[in-house]
Amino acid sequence: MKNEEVARYYTEGIDVPETADPAFDQEPWPSTRVVGQPVPKVDGYERVSGTAVYPADIVLPGMLHGALLRCPHAHAMVTAVDVSEAEGMPGVRGVLSAFTPDDPATRAHSEYIRTQLFDSHCRFEGEAVAAVVADTPYQARDALRAIRVEYDVRPHLSDERQALEPNAHQVHDDGNQSGSPQQYERGDVEAGFAEADVVLEEEYRTETQMHAPMEPHGCVASWDGDSLTVWESTQGVYNIQPAVAAALGMPLSRVRVVGHYMGGGFGSKLQAGKYTILAALFAKKTARPVKITLSREETFLATGNRPPANMRIKAGIKRDGTLTALEYVATATGGAYGNGGPSALAWLTQNCYTCPNVRTELQGFYTNAGPSRPMRGPGHPQNTWSLEQMLDALAAAIDMDPIDLRLKNIPTVSQTIAGNPPYTSTGFAECLTEGASTFQWREKREEIRAAGTDSHIRRGVGVSGGSWAAGGGGPPSTSIITLYSDGSVVLNMGASDIGCGTKTVMAMIVAEELGVDPNDVRIEHADTGTTQFASASGGSKTIPTESPAVRAAALEVKRQLFEIAAEEMEVDASTLSLQDGAIVSSESPSEPREFSSITGLRRRRTLTGIGYRGPNPADKAINPWCAQFCEVEVNMKTGAIKILRFLAAHDSGRVMNALTYRNQVFGGIAMGIALGKTERRVLDGVQTGKMLNRNSLDYGVPTVLDVADEFECVPIDPGDTEANTVGCKGIGEPATIPTAAAFANAVYDATGVRVTGAPINRVNLLNALAASEQGD
Amino acid sequence: MLPKFAYVRASTVEEAAQNLAADGARVHAGGSDLLGCLRDGVFETPLIVSLSGISSLQGISRARNGGLSIGSMTKVAEVAADANVTEMYPGLAQAAGVVASPQLRNQGTIGGNLCQKPRCWYYRGEFNCRRKGGSTCYAMVGENEYHCIFGGALCYIVHPSDTAPMLTALGATLNIAGPRGTRSVSLEEFYVLPADDVMRENVLEQGEFVTEVMIPEPASGLRTSYRKERDRGAWDFALAGVALAIHFDGDRVADANVVLSGAAPVPWRSREAEQAIEGREITAAVAAEAADAAMANARPLGKNRYKVQLFKGLIEEELLAIGLS
Repeated sequence: MKNEEVARYYTEGIDVPETADPAFDQEPWPSTRVVGQPVPKVDGYERVSGTAVYPADIVLPGMLHGALLRCPHAHAMVTAVDVSEAEGMPGVRGVLSAFTPDDPATRAHSEYIRTQLFDSHCRFEGEAVAAVVADTPYQARDALRAIRVEYDVRPHLSDERQALEPNAHQVHDDGNQSGSPQQYERGDVEAGFAEADVVLEEEYRTETQMHAPMEPHGCVASWDGDSLTVWESTQGVYNIQPAVAAALGMPLSRVRVVGHYMGGGFGSKLQAGKYTILAALFAKKTARPVKITLSREETFLATGNRPPANMRIKAGIKRDGTLTALEYVATATGGAYGNGGPSALAWLTQNCYTCPNVRTELQGFYTNAGPSRPMRGPGHPQNTWSLEQMLDALAAAIDMDPIDLRLKNIPTVSQTIAGNPPYTSTGFAECLTEGASTFQWREKREEIRAAGTDSHIRRGVGVSGGSWAAGGGGPPSTSIITLYSDGSVVLNMGASDIGCGTKTVMAMIVAEELGVDPNDVRIEHADTGTTQFASASGGSKTIPTESPAVRAAALEVKRQLFEIAAEEMEVDASTLSLQDGAIVSSESPSEPREFSSITGLRRRRTLTGIGYRGPNPADKAINPWCAQFCEVEVNMKTGAIKILRFLAAHDSGRVMNALTYRNQVFGGIAMGIALGKTERRVLDGVQTGKMLNRNSLDYGVPTVLDVADEFECVPIDPGDTEANTVGCKGIGEPATIPTAAAFANAVYDATGVRVTGAPINRVNLLNALAASEQGD
Repeated sequence: MLPKFAYVRASTVEEAAQNLAADGARVHAGGSDLLGCLRDGVFETPLIVSLSGISSLQGISRARNGGLSIGSMTKVAEVAADANVTEMYPGLAQAAGVVASPQLRNQGTIGGNLCQKPRCWYYRGEFNCRRKGGSTCYAMVGENEYHCIFGGALCYIVHPSDTAPMLTALGATLNIAGPRGTRSVSLEEFYVLPADDVMRENVLEQGEFVTEVMIPEPASGLRTSYRKERDRGAWDFALAGVALAIHFDGDRVADANVVLSGAAPVPWRSREAEQAIEGREITAAVAAEAADAAMANARPLGKNRYKVQLFKGLIEEELLAIGLS
């Protein structure tokens, strides 16, 4: 993907509309009263008490339950499907497969789904083979067991590193390369290496990581005449709507997608699933609502992953710490379909540090494994894993503090966008310096060196910088705010709240501008039937995209309110302000007017403001920046690693809500620790290609005991007045981008052994320690 | 989601035994392992017999011989928290306390923990492996990071229990009931190596079940400990574990029981480690020597050689710690 495509991965395949310019100029907030405070989630009670209705909770009258039969082989042809026994089982209302005679439903597919609903050529374990709908989920699953499928099992390719071997099985007829190589070059890399005092070269690898959201993928579909409503666990209702409409040949106006509450996505819920289309088809055939909720195992097999990456870096540096050249060649696999394997895998190599001579090359390969999907900062945590470990190795080679080396190479302009535009803001240097200072980086390093290596219990500290290709947000977005005559407010917006606290932040913005309590703002959102278009919540851009639109709508309501009030109060509108839910004129500050006392408002009943997201500044780059610091304790005899501390210093612009910001940062660190320490997909590659750890026990999502004992969050706000009208940038993805690399560098600092392959678990660390001993 | 089965909740040991005599009938204790096996299709069963209605199988009491009697339906969490266990055999409290997660310890029973099925991901997955009657052990050439380094042949599982190695080290005996009456088997003779019978993990015959765990009175000078190394801090099985029950005569080891978990298809008694410390004070050198001796005959597979180093470090640290305790 090109850079602009990286920033837009969350609308892949979606026609994005244009919205109008915001109505008027908005000045940056000189100070804020609500925004930036630690405000608990406005829907916290609903989420915690269980009254929030997630798609998996929905129960409709007469609702049926669907389930999918999935191919148990990494690669097989389906030669026959016998559903006769399943069809006759109690409660079964319908069965579909590729062999359902003359059923147009079985051919339903779309460019969004990419393959047929039931493709008899199954290129990965977990591909859909048949589906059942029944009165209960138990009957549906029982019926799946009664479907007899004949498979012609074929050879498989599990490891992309073997994709080009002469005898490698060809996943697709046109070969194992997915897409052509993505090449990028600036300057003269060879000249850069010639100029360097030290040149190092190393290979790194990260493993496949699963999204593992708390709520598995699923939906409920229900028809009313020719209109369809789908409740989907999704990051973006407007991504689901066109996929369903296209698959079923329906007008968009008749497909309503609702996504109020959802239990996490991390990028795996940006698209409709085959289950979505099947639920709609079954609902139509049976004239009943149909729910399909996938099992954890199904989500691990079929709903995406962070692809593995193989990265070779050659880097040149001068003794004073100036980077002279970076050469970066990486491969990855997006599984059996899709070209997403190497997505954004080189962005940080190209952008994170100043370097005049850079060459990158990316190549994706097909494998017989579940397709990848964007996952929290696609490509970036893999890229930091390699780049930031290399920077540490360079720092050691020239005997320089790793912080100083990074500070020496801080970019102030985009090195990849034509014309090298400056960033609207960059707090990268402050992330490193203030983070190091709060972490007591230099003191800790000295303490560790003074302790020596006598004990087999060793400590180490590590740092990683980072940035994120997207995170600036942008149009389109349209928000509508309605102020009632009693002073209560409704905010209507298309965006989803995927658990990050979007609703809360938007309520805070309304509260900031209209002087109401955030908890008194009722929010209608994420519903194609009642809201305006919003792009999906992905790319760490929901807050910087939606906040300016919501602020604009609030300002428009305030403008109308003040106009009416000024007339009644016989003052100039410019003298009015809002204080404690009342209107006050600077000409008569002792006579505040309640909203309800404004006759003009009472007569109108409501005031409605529409806000649009304005364009981003021309000729500027908008990116969040970060640095994370980690301290570990390693037992050199048993390979046990304890993560003592993680400190995260992030420049994501203005902190909109101190509480949800911290939660995002800590959640991102936990997910990064997962990539670096505990998680990986294990395929039985040599024998069957089947996934071996397809459940929460074997897969190794970290527990609270596995993440850091102490977290610290150090927000760096450079006071960005150019990025957008609220001055914020995204935090969700940046929070996980440097984590695994900082951890790896800390382990190196403790052990003196460089573990280049993630995760650094017992197996990999003890093997690396043993190899280094043999090397001695 | 679960295959069909009939369900009986027995109210006496005899009633349970009679019902369990039916071919393929399975015991339901806490259910945390049974339901997982059924859901994952590891096996099917026509009849599940619950022991939850048999009150005599519950609880921990002092035995007449001065030891402790633990009813097989006692929750793992109760064993971990029991005052007598903590005082008499702290290693057993430690072992019970590191089983799985708090939720599973509250649900799982000591009998179930001793009789649980292996966690090998081929056995649990859609693979017709040797232990399920097939002709292949997929772990032999496949992903065997978590498999055994001792006692493997035909099948390379590790025994998943944390309490079994500790109870083996303590010389515990199991009381067993079945359709043909009751019997007692020492824990050391309870488990079956795959070379002897690849399709069973223990000596229980159809219809038999554990009713009671009998632990002998701790002799004076007994020190016990259990430590488990795992990839996650909770809810994970042992990569390596070591149970120690050592009788000290002053500073010297009079008699040692060293039993490893995560090492073999059964709780693995390391006579090599025991011999290396018996009659000696556990100095740093002795501990390291014993750890080396324990691993001298290890036979790692393609991907679990790291376990040798891990066990060495673990055994060395634990022997030193118990010597100083």
